[in-house]
Amino acid sequence: MSSELLNTFKTAAENYDEDVQQWKKTVGGKAIGFLLTDVPEELIHAAGFFPFGISGGDTRMDMADAHLQFWACSFVRSSLAMALEGKLDFLDGLIIPHTCDTTRMVLGIWKHAKPLSLMDNFRIPKQVERPSAQKYLVGEISRLKKLLEDFRGSEITDEELWQSIKLYNSNRELLRKLFFLHEKNPNLLGNRNLYTIIKSSMVISREKLNKLLQELLNSLEKEEETSSPGNHKSRIVISGTLLEPMEILDFFEESGGVIVADDLKNGFRYIESDVPEKSDPIEALAERQRSRIPSAAYDNNNNPRRDFLVNLAKEKKADGVILLHLKYCEPENYDYYDNYLALEAAGIPAMRIETEFGGVALGQLRTRVQAFMEMVGGGGSD
Amino acid sequence: MTEKKPFKTAELMKEMMKGYYRDGAHAKENGIPVVWVTAVSPVEIIYAAGLFPYYPENFGAVAAAKRVADKLSQVAESKGYAHDLCGYARCGIGDAYSEEHPVGEIVKPDITMVCNTQCGSLSKWFEVASRFYKVPHFVLDAPQIGNEPEELVTQYFIEQLYELISFLEEVTGKPYDYDRLNEVLKLSSEACRLWNEVLETAALEPAPFGFFDACFHMAPIVTMRGTQQAVDYYRALKEELDERIKQGIPAIPNERFKLYFDHIPHWPKLRWFSELFASRDALVAVSQYTHSWAYDFDLSRPIESLAEQYTEEFVNRFFDYRIELKKRLMEKYDVDGFVLFSNRSCKPNAFGLYDKRKIITEETGIPGVVFESDMSDLRFFSEEQIVDKLEPFFEQLEAGKES
Ligand code: SF4
Repeated sequence: MSSELLNTFKTAAENYDEDVQQWKKTVGGKAIGFLLTDVPEELIHAAGFFPFGISGGDTRMDMADAHLQFWACSFVRSSLAMALEGKLDFLDGLIIPHTCDTTRMVLGIWKHAKPLSLMDNFRIPKQVERPSAQKYLVGEISRLKKLLEDFRGSEITDEELWQSIKLYNSNRELLRKLFFLHEKNPNLLGNRNLYTIIKSSMVISREKLNKLLQELLNSLEKEEETSSPGNHKSRIVISGTLLEPMEILDFFEESGGVIVADDLKNGFRYIESDVPEKSDPIEALAERQRSRIPSAAYDNNNNPRRDFLVNLAKEKKADGVILLHLKYCEPENYDYYDNYLALEAAGIPAMRIETEFGGVALGQLRTRVQAFMEMVGGGGSD
Repeated sequence: MTEKKPFKTAELMKEMMKGYYRDGAHAKENGIPVVWVTAVSPVEIIYAAGLFPYYPENFGAVAAAKRVADKLSQVAESKGYAHDLCGYARCGIGDAYSEEHPVGEIVKPDITMVCNTQCGSLSKWFEVASRFYKVPHFVLDAPQIGNEPEELVTQYFIEQLYELISFLEEVTGKPYDYDRLNEVLKLSSEACRLWNEVLETAALEPAPFGFFDACFHMAPIVTMRGTQQAVDYYRALKEELDERIKQGIPAIPNERFKLYFDHIPHWPKLRWFSELFASRDALVAVSQYTHSWAYDFDLSRPIESLAEQYTEEFVNRFFDYRIELKKRLMEKYDVDGFVLFSNRSCKPNAFGLYDKRKIITEETGIPGVVFESDMSDLRFFSEEQIVDKLEPFFEQLEAGKES
């Protein structure tokens, strides 16, 4: 039962445009793409559009060469290349969160190279703790709302927005349940399936997603009764910008490593915090953005990422932390050393692994993972 | 090529900058906190608070010009900071961890204040620095704007300026002096006005002053605007230029072309570049970079005016605005061609140049070229590659003159 469902998620992640194309045909609606993942998707959804997460990767990288230097990160380069290759032609709009200089500058390039009707940056504040940040963010989200309203030709009502917020909150809740279930009993899903589901949740219609997730949970909970969690696994935390390539999850699995937590934009950070269901919906969306898991994209003076990571690793009783570095990702690179030092000081084994979208040598990656697993005392002795 | 007669004011500047660094080095002894600031940030607030503003970017530029950026960078790289990060940041972080200080030690901060109008690199670098030196850190956040100023952004910035002032009051234990702020703003506006008059002489034919001269003379407008010294300096420079115009002393011996250049100069090879262009009778006359400092504050509403001027600066604008700005400058200085520097260090200014080159040429007919290198690190410099890129461009310029 669960294997069939797992297949559905896997197929959705691989054939990422299938559901959205289908949806567009039946509903006749518009799709708005976004780069991962600091974007208030709830707004897009409330406007009646299909929020589509662009996960990059699936493309010929050289398509981007004429527009973007090779030393831009491969996530943005490959996402742009996908658009240029015509692989994102179903999109009617695009929202890029301003998380770094690359996401800030690529908007203009994209606008000229592959124009869509609605294109903008979501300008997240780079300080999130002072009172001015909340006020500004409310203004910025309202600006985005207005943009979407103009695009659809009518106002987004509070009721619509609350409905979408509730739907998203329940999506996230179900995904979190899966995550914790995996942590408790890693034999049920396995690393790869878990993250594939999160990835696919960005390209499946949200209504459908809830049904699928609920079914999956039901059947997994049943299976759990008869399956033993085993006790041979090492508990690993992954920290970084984006999880890529997915194969790395298999390599951990092979060496007896269970991913128990992360701060990745396309991992647990995506599903961790909900929109508080109180007060004004825009205020609530802003609050969520400000209280997400710390990221290199903005300053967290009072909740520094390195302390957050140390605490996370301790709380999850992790055996080690992988600092997954997406090559050419500037913000992540600036965070790396201090994160590493903080983990080291806390006695938590940590290692940096550099990856890229497209062109990672998988054999080498596997060796790196194995070396790390040996270091933390894993090694999958069943 | 005959050696150009050096500017008299050059000596004056050397003295002045020496004094500035001396003050920085002694600030702590004198009980004056050192605040790290960024080039396009409202430094006027810091000057008015009686604090010493220090520009680590300038440290990076000096290290680059002295050709030691790679050495400092390698120290940072050994800690895991990759060589694709901004060269200034690599120099600053490298110096922090380094035993050797080939350009003198960076002045350590008591406060780090980053304004992100220019880029995200500075924000991250200053974050790193505030952790390394264990000092309070303040982020002045400027969301990027398009063609029109945005109330949302201005108001956000105004509020943050007040937050900054409270932060400074708290750290220093002194109430903020708003009267002093007005004096500083006045001086800053005056220095900017003079600086722009200086830059505008590059439009004359032949011009007494060009981009490479501006790179040399810009340190005070970056670091000391808001002081009387900066005003005096640019007044002296302007007078010297007027004199040169009278005497007919040109910036390059035989100016036949004027060029636009984007963006930051190639510090370690500044001379090489300037001679290369001069040897082709091309005066690099203008760049958005040197035109960054053109503030004119409204003293009746100082905080609002600071917020407007800094958030509306071109470094804080989207793609299309920047194309328009380049086109405007090209027109004003009546250039024959443009050269865009795809600077590995500076992603926000490099990304988009390929498309910008194409669009500008399509819209104006002016030939342009993009070359690749790094503003500070010679490991990414290839003389041959650059010459190969520029050669056909020079030929285009010649062909344009003939037709
Ligand atoms: S060179 Fe570019 S990236 Fe570096 S500090 Fe200056 S604006 Fe920022």
